[in-house]
Amino acid sequence: MLDFIFPNYIVPDLLLLLFPFIVIGARLFCTAQSKLPWRIANVGFIAIFVLLNFIPLANGAGKFFISNWKVDDFGILMREVLIISAILGMWLSKDYFDHSGEKEQMHQIAEFIGAIAFATFGGFAVVSACDLLTFFLGLEIATIPMYALTAWNKKDQLGSEAATKYILMGSVATAFELFGFSYLYGFAGSLHFSEIQAAVSSGTSPLLWVAVLFLFCGIGFKLTLFPFHTWAPDVYEGAPTPVTAVISVTSKATAIAFLVVLVYGPFAPIQEQIAPLIALLAGTTLFVGNLGALKQSRLRRFMAYSSIAQAGYIMVALLGPASIAKTAIIYYLFIYAVSNYLAFFVFGIIGHYREETFASLRGLSKQNLGLAIALAVSMFSLAGIPPLAGFFGKFHLFFSSASTGHYAIVTFAVLNNVLALFYYIQLIKSAWVDEPEGTLSPLRLTKRQRNVVILLTIAIIALGILPFLSNNVFSGFSL
Amino acid sequence: MDTLLFNAIWIIPLLTVLVCAPIPAVHAKVIKWIHAVSTTFVLFAVCYLTYRVYALQGSPVDEYAAPLLLRFFTDIPWLTMFNAHYIVGADGLNMLLLALTAFIVWGGVLVSWNIKGNQKVFFALIQILATSVYGVYMSFDLVLFFVFYEMEALCMYLMIACYGSGRRDYGGKKLTLTLAFGSSMILATLFGLYFEGGVHSWSILELSKVTIPVDFQMWAFPLMFMGFAVSSSLFPFHFWSPDGHSAAPTAVSMLAAGVMMKMGAYGCLRVAMFLMPEAAKFWLPYVVALLIFNVVLGPFIAIRHKDLKYITAYSSISHLGLIFLGLAALTPVGLRGASLQMISHGFLTGLFFATIGMIYERTHTRYINEMGGIMRKMPFVGVGFVLAGFAGLGLPGFSGFIAESTIFIGAFQQNSTITRIVTILAILSITTTAIYILQTANRMLHGEKPAKFATLTDVCLREKLVIVVLVACLLFIGVCPGWISDLLDQSIAPIFEKISAATEPVIGGIGG
Repeated sequence: MLDFIFPNYIVPDLLLLLFPFIVIGARLFCTAQSKLPWRIANVGFIAIFVLLNFIPLANGAGKFFISNWKVDDFGILMREVLIISAILGMWLSKDYFDHSGEKEQMHQIAEFIGAIAFATFGGFAVVSACDLLTFFLGLEIATIPMYALTAWNKKDQLGSEAATKYILMGSVATAFELFGFSYLYGFAGSLHFSEIQAAVSSGTSPLLWVAVLFLFCGIGFKLTLFPFHTWAPDVYEGAPTPVTAVISVTSKATAIAFLVVLVYGPFAPIQEQIAPLIALLAGTTLFVGNLGALKQSRLRRFMAYSSIAQAGYIMVALLGPASIAKTAIIYYLFIYAVSNYLAFFVFGIIGHYREETFASLRGLSKQNLGLAIALAVSMFSLAGIPPLAGFFGKFHLFFSSASTGHYAIVTFAVLNNVLALFYYIQLIKSAWVDEPEGTLSPLRLTKRQRNVVILLTIAIIALGILPFLSNNVFSGFSL
Repeated sequence: MDTLLFNAIWIIPLLTVLVCAPIPAVHAKVIKWIHAVSTTFVLFAVCYLTYRVYALQGSPVDEYAAPLLLRFFTDIPWLTMFNAHYIVGADGLNMLLLALTAFIVWGGVLVSWNIKGNQKVFFALIQILATSVYGVYMSFDLVLFFVFYEMEALCMYLMIACYGSGRRDYGGKKLTLTLAFGSSMILATLFGLYFEGGVHSWSILELSKVTIPVDFQMWAFPLMFMGFAVSSSLFPFHFWSPDGHSAAPTAVSMLAAGVMMKMGAYGCLRVAMFLMPEAAKFWLPYVVALLIFNVVLGPFIAIRHKDLKYITAYSSISHLGLIFLGLAALTPVGLRGASLQMISHGFLTGLFFATIGMIYERTHTRYINEMGGIMRKMPFVGVGFVLAGFAGLGLPGFSGFIAESTIFIGAFQQNSTITRIVTILAILSITTTAIYILQTANRMLHGEKPAKFATLTDVCLREKLVIVVLVACLLFIGVCPGWISDLLDQSIAPIFEKISAATEPVIGGIGG
């Protein structure tokens, strides 16, 4: 009777869907101080990551599950990026809860991690979706937990303000997207990507261009593209540190995946025509992000502008052909995730004892050399200085765009790197050169913090130089 | 075996850093000795390999190393996602530059023995910087080349800003950002070379076998040439060098002026001119016009300065201008002179900055009008400084004379009015050089001795060794330049062959 073969390649997805319920549910059966949910969360996320690595990379169309859930090589690698981001986010939130001091919050870590897991599942849905409905649901699942997490600290006014801003902006973006989707549906007469692609390749109409424009505007909010980036600094500043980190990596990765799926899926036939739009968004975004970061004195706002600029750099790759652009974007997201989390770990440690400003970094190299080196490595990697991983990531992004002859935008982006280097050096200067004012409050690192910082620092140095890691990532795409 | 040793040149500095990493910073003495031993070992290895390259002269090279005559050739696929290889090889030109680097790094480690601050980090940064310079000279794959080329930015800022003097943050930022600006111009054109070159390869050897489309060359060459020229402080991109050098600690000044600034000129010759000879023929006459600032005005600015490091920095700017004059001459003699000047200037500016560092360490001032009578208290340093000065103004017997006269002969062979005018101006500007060097030496070394200098002591054995070795190198090149010219000629021949085979684009240049 049952001729249904269980598709083993969706096991990680199903696990991730069940996982937050287990973590949150576990709280019902243990005391408030119990570490059980935290342990389950650790085991669960790492198990999903390991399982993902067992799914063989397959070329071509990928495997389908009920016709609108697709598992292909891009999807698997994006899942790995998202899960890595979730694991690091989880460790960072443990730090946050350990130091928040308020005992009544301690037991809420299960909900916190559950929310991160939901957001990650949203990302999974976006990369596996084959029709507009699943696609849209995925994006919303990825966003809504972030609203809640931003307002996590109920007593913090800044946090509430940030959450309000985030929700308002996010809803507008959602409305834009829905509007775009409805026009796209009106144009193609179908929700399924393959049918939309067929309709697009057979001819265009103003209806389609309206849809494209609105979709780019909508995702522009989530990806912090200029001119829709203005919410980012406030939200980054107001949200708790782990949430800021998760927003800067998971949300950004989801939004980029959304664009990749669209540009190389339904819109593939008109990629030539939308290239100027992408180039314009990419160029202005990275320029505005870099300009904005120049004058910041607070670490979170600084990171906000820095990640706006990074979004611009990632957009540059979208001008290239699918095979190179997808690898470049995944590779860069890996590196971006690692570098960004390292920075947030260091800022989190500083933030436990001092204000999160440039001034409180002063004297770091004399007080804790290891932390100062980690900070320098992370900043130089974000600035794209070889031999750190960030350089190879950016190189790959530009390589993708240059392969279709877009030298002008590549030159512009490369020159912008000098601007970026300037503000990253400002931060390194605070930590390495400036003399501290008065006596420094001591920094105490827990064992886990130290291990994570060392792990991420080594990862940044090794990811770029050692080719074997990247070769696995790319073997799937070799055409 | 030799090939393995050759590849170890850039690996040993990194290994030394790794070995020293677990040693606590309080055992600074152990760390310093490890670094000193490792740099000495590299120095001997490089000297031996240079000798090997000389001995192998005339013997056939591997076929895949053509058209250049590369020894110790290694080619391993590296980053397969963008087809980058690990390609290194040695010919006379880069071997001599490697030897220069090894001498300067060795000297740099010895003169910064007593540097203030965290010595462990400082020596680690010197070694990483050394790796980057070695790598640039060794690599024949453009990605590898660029990775090493840009790596310097990582160390330079930290070294200048943390260990420098004066306006160290400003100087460090100015230097790092200007160099980063130059390298981003290079990076932009590298992509073009890969995709427009027609062979889809980053290998300099592969790219040199084809003719890059002239339309592409016409905009890519100036971008790339200026990108490299930034680090060789060609006008109008010279402004970083005086501030950067004056703020840097001694070892960094030595490395920056001695070898890093040569990386730019080397890149111009090896990458820009070698791969894009057609555009080089069109654009280089314009470069000659820019040189008027470097070679004529540079020395005049040096006369007006009172800070020793500023004087030396402007003197470097004028000497590097001569390198470009040799390159722009586009004659075999000119190219040989330019290469000779790279090596000669590396040694003499290294000696300059080393002696200045020793003087500053003791007198705590670099202003020549606050000094006097140093010769009586510190004769050894004084003599070293004067010898460096003589080499700099081209006294026969020192390397400067050989290099500069070769450049002038080569440049005058070029059949273009503007080049000849600039050559004559450059020859005349040696007089200006003599003015500032003699004036500086006179004010600083002789004359009234300020009372606070009564307790000065002369340098110790370690510092004497550095001075003696560098002076010996200057004299060696000056007295018997024959075999160095042989080494250079065989590596310049293929480059010149490619350039002379190229036809100038029809748009027509200036001069001529």
